Amino acid sequence: MALLELSGLTKRFGSFTALDNISLGIERGEVHCLLGENGAGKSTLCNLIFGVHKPDAGTMQLGGTPLHPRGPAEAIERGIVMVHQHFSLVPNMSVAENLMLGRAKAVLKPQDIIVRMGQLAAEYGLQVDPNVLIEDLSVGERQRVEIIKCLLGDPQLLVLDEPTAVLQPDEIDALLDICRQLTVRGKSVILVTHKLGEIGRVADRTTVLRQGKIIETVAMEGADIRSLVRSMVGRDVQSAGSVLAATVDMEEEAAAHPAAGHASDANGAPLVPEATGQAALRLSDLVYRDADGVIKLDGVNLSVNPGEIVGVAGVEGNGQTELGWILAGLASPASGSIFVGGRNLDGCTPQQITEAGVGIVPEDRHAVACIKELSLAENLFLGSINKFSRFGLLDKSARRKAAETMMREFDVRASSSDVPMSGLSGGNQQKAVLARELSLDPLLFLLAAQPTRGLDVGAIEAVYGRIRAARDTGLGVLLISSELEELMAVSDRIVVIYRGKLVGELKAGSFSREAIGSMMSGHEHV
Amino acid sequence: MIDEQMAVFIGSGLRLAVPIIFAATGEMLSERAGVLNLSLDGMMLMSAFAAALASWVTGSPLIGVLVGVLVATSVAAVQAFLSVTLRANQLVVGIGFNILALGATTFLYREIFGPLSRDPIPGFAQLNLPWLASIPVIGPALSNQTGLAYVSIIMVVVTWLLLKYTSFGLAVRAVGEDPRAADKAGINVARTRYLGVLYAGALAGLGGAFMSVADSNTFTENMTKGAGYLAITAVIFGGWNPWYTLGACLLFGFATALQFLVPALQLDVPVALLLLLPYLLALIAIAGLVGKSRQPAALTLPFERGG
Repeated sequence: MALLELSGLTKRFGSFTALDNISLGIERGEVHCLLGENGAGKSTLCNLIFGVHKPDAGTMQLGGTPLHPRGPAEAIERGIVMVHQHFSLVPNMSVAENLMLGRAKAVLKPQDIIVRMGQLAAEYGLQVDPNVLIEDLSVGERQRVEIIKCLLGDPQLLVLDEPTAVLQPDEIDALLDICRQLTVRGKSVILVTHKLGEIGRVADRTTVLRQGKIIETVAMEGADIRSLVRSMVGRDVQSAGSVLAATVDMEEEAAAHPAAGHASDANGAPLVPEATGQAALRLSDLVYRDADGVIKLDGVNLSVNPGEIVGVAGVEGNGQTELGWILAGLASPASGSIFVGGRNLDGCTPQQITEAGVGIVPEDRHAVACIKELSLAENLFLGSINKFSRFGLLDKSARRKAAETMMREFDVRASSSDVPMSGLSGGNQQKAVLARELSLDPLLFLLAAQPTRGLDVGAIEAVYGRIRAARDTGLGVLLISSELEELMAVSDRIVVIYRGKLVGELKAGSFSREAIGSMMSGHEHV
Repeated sequence: MIDEQMAVFIGSGLRLAVPIIFAATGEMLSERAGVLNLSLDGMMLMSAFAAALASWVTGSPLIGVLVGVLVATSVAAVQAFLSVTLRANQLVVGIGFNILALGATTFLYREIFGPLSRDPIPGFAQLNLPWLASIPVIGPALSNQTGLAYVSIIMVVVTWLLLKYTSFGLAVRAVGEDPRAADKAGINVARTRYLGVLYAGALAGLGGAFMSVADSNTFTENMTKGAGYLAITAVIFGGWNPWYTLGACLLFGFATALQFLVPALQLDVPVALLLLLPYLLALIAIAGLVGKSRQPAALTLPFERGG
């Protein structure tokens, strides 16, 4: 008898069927991975189990008795806990306070929670200082707090919704270890992911979802990873190329074809002639101090040639974010200069920078790149509102027409250009941002900061396809990403940033995970 | 001579600070839960009037205070319903209440008290605690207060304890910082915010009642003179910390009391300027603090559960 038995689950949102007749059993003590692209129904399935949504049809049984949670509280009571993609921790409260929230009796007893934390630390190696504030913790540590929060009540089933999307490689390893330890203690884990590498390392069984249906459930022992990808994407990986392989974390694929499909592979030099003879971007001795005077960028010198993608590798928090701010004109460097196409952009406003031919795909899509409440068309022409103004009035039909052209060209999928940006999937939002930035005229240089964060495989492919196409027409691109596999698959050159300094550089063909990884952790390249 | 004037100055400074301490302390808790009660001044004014009326009718200032608190808490309940349940704009609701309170109390005062406005209202006596009075200089100032003044300090301690050591206080802070996270942790966001607003209402009620029943033994039109706004400022000035907020309230109280001290010392400063001083201080305090102290992240933001 399986711990959790789902039969015939169906969930519709309006006319959209998110889940279609799902039947599945989760055994005791297994790690069961849910694999699928965004929109495949993974999160919806988790939300049904956790009581966030109610199924339109079908039944669930937990431990042999029916399960109809009317809300998360009831699911928790039955021993089901969930770590959401977006953490639910109060940032300026301590770890212990967050763990007591909603659980404590009238008077707080932090000592009790600290004792329980000690037990969990001993059992699972989940170590966190109870007195430190959440906002001072790294993403990985915050997730550890979420997991501790889940384990306080000794649950039977732990649901993890894309837990590794935000983690560093070593943190991912630690998380997968914890999953294994949980199963050793008889608990079951549902792990939602779209990374095959993780599945291979931790899953007992994997269920592949596509468009709300179960494609297959396979035991991982001796399973063919490639066939899983085929089930997930609905077509062959080989044709999808190295980016896809890299994003699903199939390392051997990525290593086999570095920068596949790039016109300049053969000799390592871009085929596009340098029209101006100037670097698309040149940074000279760039220094940046934050509000507290801490040096975040320490004498950065870098050129990006036209027709070249330069990847910036580094563990997050080593100055990449600040570099992005400076290039966008959102922060001013303490010293040093920025040249785009030979033109000095020191002290320019964001508008002047845009006019100089710099496209920016910001790191924080939601906060900076678009205005969620405005329509897709409005977002597409956010920087050029005046283009569609006649006698001071907006010419909406002209704008709609232009927007639709752009949507077609960049494959931005939405029911119309008038839907609010918030109604688009993450992938389509990012394609829209990319469409806007790549349509700038003139365009000499593009900064793409974490352009694939939170996107599914198909969208990642599309984003990089666009960036490469733009590169092939002579655009210089600086690509900042924490996904090393993606950087290695896409870049012509990778520079490594460590504590605000560029500590190493590798050319396509000589990329190696080990070399880059060791530079990222501060060991100089030999 | 100077000693005596200092005692009067300190005594009146404390007395003037008390209603602000009450209101600011309650408001601080409500704001920590994410609800801004701009209606604080209106709550105080209604309470001051209701307390005066009840005390006058029954002859008992204690009943007056209770009625005042009840009225202010009822106003707070409506404020909570509008801003928590209906998710109305908290600023607009607050301003509406203040205008209503001023109009209603002025009208009722003229209708009911009009011919009797010279009669004093039964009020509290001063406690005159001998052991306090024996402290030099500030002793007489401290002891010549009504019991309600001491209650205001007790409420600061109570509020501090609530926030720091109880699960209710933890819920309040969580709901004011990140209601979504609190909701997921099983906290009833709406209930917590209601309680926060009602707490602010009750304390504003004490503050308002203090003005009419314990301090001046009379009601006058618009007698709060913006004390509720000063209290809101004190919360910001105090960085949402109960003790710093108390400090800010005392500062405003003493700044107001200068209008008695300066003429007594025969200093040539226009009284009008002194009347302006607390409000000017408030403005400077806010301007100086912009960007430095961190308000509860969800302050004034209604909560709606979403996917």
